[in-house]
Amino acid sequence: MTASDPCFLSIAEAASLIATKRLSPVELVRAYLDRIERLDRTLHAYVRVLPDEALAAARAAEAEIAAGRYRGPLHGIPIGLKDIYDTAGVATEGGSKLCLGRVPAADATTTRLLKQAGAILLGKLTTWEFAIGGTAFDTPFPPARNPWNTERDPAGSSSGSGAAVAAGLCAMAMGSDTGGSIRWPATWCGLAGLKPTYGRVSRAGIMPLSFSLDHAGPLTWTVEDAAIVLQAIASHDPRDPASADRPVPDYRAALASPDLKGIRLGIPRTMFERDCPASGAMGAAFDAAVEVLRSLGAAIAEIELPPLALYNATASLISRGEGFAIHEKTLRERPQDYGALARDRLTIGAYVRASDMLQAMRRRMMLVEATKTAMAGFDAILLPICPDPAPVLGELGPYFDNRRPMYMRPFNLTGQPALSLCSGFDDTGLPLSLQIVGRHFDEAAVLRIGHAYEGATPWRERRPLL
Amino acid sequence: MAASIEDRFAVETELLGLKLLPGQEANLRSAYAVLHEAIAVVGADYPFEAEPAHVFAPAPSAERRR
Repeated sequence: MTASDPCFLSIAEAASLIATKRLSPVELVRAYLDRIERLDRTLHAYVRVLPDEALAAARAAEAEIAAGRYRGPLHGIPIGLKDIYDTAGVATEGGSKLCLGRVPAADATTTRLLKQAGAILLGKLTTWEFAIGGTAFDTPFPPARNPWNTERDPAGSSSGSGAAVAAGLCAMAMGSDTGGSIRWPATWCGLAGLKPTYGRVSRAGIMPLSFSLDHAGPLTWTVEDAAIVLQAIASHDPRDPASADRPVPDYRAALASPDLKGIRLGIPRTMFERDCPASGAMGAAFDAAVEVLRSLGAAIAEIELPPLALYNATASLISRGEGFAIHEKTLRERPQDYGALARDRLTIGAYVRASDMLQAMRRRMMLVEATKTAMAGFDAILLPICPDPAPVLGELGPYFDNRRPMYMRPFNLTGQPALSLCSGFDDTGLPLSLQIVGRHFDEAAVLRIGHAYEGATPWRERRPLL
Repeated sequence: MAASIEDRFAVETELLGLKLLPGQEANLRSAYAVLHEAIAVVGADYPFEAEPAHVFAPAPSAERRR
């Protein structure tokens, strides 16, 4: 890596150069393809690279821009998609033997919107099988590795998305988040990961895992880049029944304020100090981040949320039940074609009774209300993403979330926007993280807070040494 | 209802008609215990005389149409 390596430009930086014709989309795509060729044999971030298609798209973008038809900040930007996002004419296999050779006829809505914005698809990215299977060695594709230490887990389920962006193998990657699968790999790979509000971004054409908990969103190097991507993909989509028909604000404009004066932040400290204590490094990084935000002018106070275990148990019953509803037919007909982790984690949903599901749905509504009440008067809440930095690859057990529960699922349950961003590094150089959770459809506030924090800290100056 | 969680797991597996692969039963039995911990945490304490419960979340698109 060098400071001038185009693969380490943020989207905002690359876009500025492309718009003024100082950077060629063709050169940029070639640089990424070279880097993928060199590094992905180790990282396994991609399941499929599309060099010919990417170069053709780059040439078309270059011609269009030269002709004065610049589309905006994603025009000519190379991206990757988690391999559960449908891509017309390009295999989308969900990391599963069950879907090998599956070639969708149409793009997912997000795929289409990104292409319309001028983004260039470099390839499809490694995913845990059906976004649930875990770090597995019995599925068709090897697990992705963490660029900060290739012996470590990048987390999942958007594992390739996290690894690719951190390693400079694409400028942005899309992930999906049912219980943290955007925010978690963003955390362990040192990135910004945005789970937008439920309904803000269409899920049409993305393999489902849990109807009421699935969210689609980006993993990027900076918060500003997340705002750029959200601007392109936030829209109403009749193909997704949960899609919100609401105006889309100017997310990048929301980043203009240099400070956080007037912003009120709540900290649910018992969640990560009593319910599941964060490790020393994660806790210390969190406290330091709070002081940075305070120094930027934010007013900070402690708040009390319901117990983490109640959120997680409720989300678990709903996701298990919904996951089994989606997979029952194939689990019964072709169980041997699932990897063991996905098979077990989906089959257990068969044992969720109707009454269990209804109690969980009832509890969910209570938790949504309780969270809203606790947040009254606050613009956002702050907490870590997970208690620990990345472990050795393969050390996560099948039910790791019960041993050391993480702090993400509450906001899949409530549907609130949640952003993870890098808050430093531990003694071994592994990334630590901060989570900012906003009010429904207030991604602008979440992005503003994250962007201000990022600008006041040095964490974006460090890249993995590969 | 069978007495132990292991017995309940066996009975329910049969009732559900699940054909488990070799090695799967032990994993699922552990997962079943975890699932029942979650069921206990969520609780089943809805009293007959309570106010009506609300379990239906309207789609965001229904809240505010332009």
